[in-house]
Amino acid sequence: MLEIDNLVAGYGGVPVLRDINAKMAAGEIVGLLGANNAGKTTLINALSGMVKPISGRILFLGEDISKLTPQARVELGIVQVPEGRLVFPEMSIRENLLLGGINAHARKHRPQQMEKVIGLFPRLGERLTQSAGSLSGGEQQMLAIGRGLMAEAKLLMLDEPSLGLSPLFVQYIFEIIDKLHADGLTILLVEQNLNLTLRHAKRCYVLERGQVAVEGDAETVKNDPRTRSAYLGL
Amino acid sequence: MTELYQALAQGLLIGATYGLLALGMGLVYGVSGVVNFSHGDFISLGMFMCLALYSAFAMDPYVSIIITVPLMIAIGALVYIFLIRPMVGHQFLMVVQLTLGLSLVLQNGILMVFGGEPARTPSFVESKLIILGDVVLRVPHIVAFVVSFALAIGLYIMLRSTDFGRSIRAVHQNAHAAALMGINVGRVQVLTFALGIGILALAAALLLPGTPIQPTQGLRYTVITLLVVVLGGMTNFVGIMLGGLIIGIAEAFGTIYLDGPIGLLLPYIIFVAIMLFLPKGLTWSSAR
Ligand SMILES: Nc1ncnc2c1ncn2[C@@H]1O[C@H](COP(=O)(O)OP(=O)(O)O)[C@@H](O)[C@H]1O
Ligand SMILES: [Mg+2]
Repeated sequence: MLEIDNLVAGYGGVPVLRDINAKMAAGEIVGLLGANNAGKTTLINALSGMVKPISGRILFLGEDISKLTPQARVELGIVQVPEGRLVFPEMSIRENLLLGGINAHARKHRPQQMEKVIGLFPRLGERLTQSAGSLSGGEQQMLAIGRGLMAEAKLLMLDEPSLGLSPLFVQYIFEIIDKLHADGLTILLVEQNLNLTLRHAKRCYVLERGQVAVEGDAETVKNDPRTRSAYLGL
Repeated sequence: MTELYQALAQGLLIGATYGLLALGMGLVYGVSGVVNFSHGDFISLGMFMCLALYSAFAMDPYVSIIITVPLMIAIGALVYIFLIRPMVGHQFLMVVQLTLGLSLVLQNGILMVFGGEPARTPSFVESKLIILGDVVLRVPHIVAFVVSFALAIGLYIMLRSTDFGRSIRAVHQNAHAAALMGINVGRVQVLTFALGIGILALAAALLLPGTPIQPTQGLRYTVITLLVVVLGGMTNFVGIMLGGLIIGIAEAFGTIYLDGPIGLLLPYIIFVAIMLFLPKGLTWSSAR
């Protein structure tokens, strides 16, 4: 479904990511791990089109998307749930969800999609008119995921969904992620939390200073000494 | 007492149009972070377009908007794309410089075409009056008030309940997140600027009947608009309309009760007084 070929990308012409190669099959749940500043957010922003590639290619469903705008990529179903959630604080839950489905492709099916999202997160459905800024961190994370689902994602990229949440909410959010995966959604799970991710993702990539240091199935990554060193920055 | 009512009524009527002018500026600031110092000169441009259409076709300003609004929207879009967009994201002061430069260009352009003599554009409502007890209201002011409020309400509804309106608010609240939703942020910024200039074309026609115009008046409108926007808390819809009414009333009181320069200064004095006590302007968080 997704193929990244020798991707080099960064800010203002200065590379942060160097020679990234990665692949994801449809229906897979893949973990993207790495210490703080390893380049995880930069990589999913490159996939979203928010960071322009310096060289290399990104293929989605066989098509080269590396020159497409962020809007075009959302329309294809490449959807990001950003780090820090970034809900629209002065808008209601309902308006946030409507904005999630604003792209030309998803717009037609918003009412049905909204039903599904509310079915998944009844807590959001109970307070559709409440402003997003007044929600707790965990509720905002639900809203951010719900908003991403409104876009009719084919590939859902979650950037540190557990960040700043209480253990109970982390557990809840990961149950939701498992459920979405079981329903067939392709998920790229970006996390700093190593053990948590290894429990939910079948396969992982570990980034270290903008390069893939380790890749393989969860067990391999867990036992590879380079994983620890990538985290400790050795 | 009659004078008091007269000043209040006149101030309220004109104030609604000031509020409308400021809404345009506030919207643009909200999505692009641009404060347009040529705002008032675009109002001038709109007024002189009406004058030209009157001179050529004896067209009433209220009818001219059919032509001036689309024209000004197009001009606004082009100005944003070719002049302002290349500067956005650089120093805030560079954009200020640019729009100040644009102000001079517009002012002198108008001067070259129309000359410096004050001019008037007649309108069929120009000299009509409505008398309520002791208070005399000019019909053009009433038209301006009603249309301005109707447009403000229309804008409010548009922002609340259309996809375009929600896109504008999304870009204002978090441009990065808006782009991740698939919103074309650049397009929203252009359209908002163009919409803001289009509103000015309407406001120009509303302010025109019975008012002499001259090419150098733009700065005065820019300053009034700035007062109102700052008073209204930059992007607060209700605050801005309220700010418009306050500045309109201050101006009317100044001209009716006080002689000469002090009278003209009254809106500024009121502005400074309010800002001293409410540094964030007339905002309250629930009003967005
Ligand atoms: N907007 C930006 N402009 C310039 N450099 C950035 C920007 N965002 C991140 N970086 C740099 O890119 C590197 C990787 O950051 P990031 O992708 O956020 O890492 P992670 O998500 O793994 O913590 C860091 O060195 C960071 O300083
Ligand atoms: Mg990150």
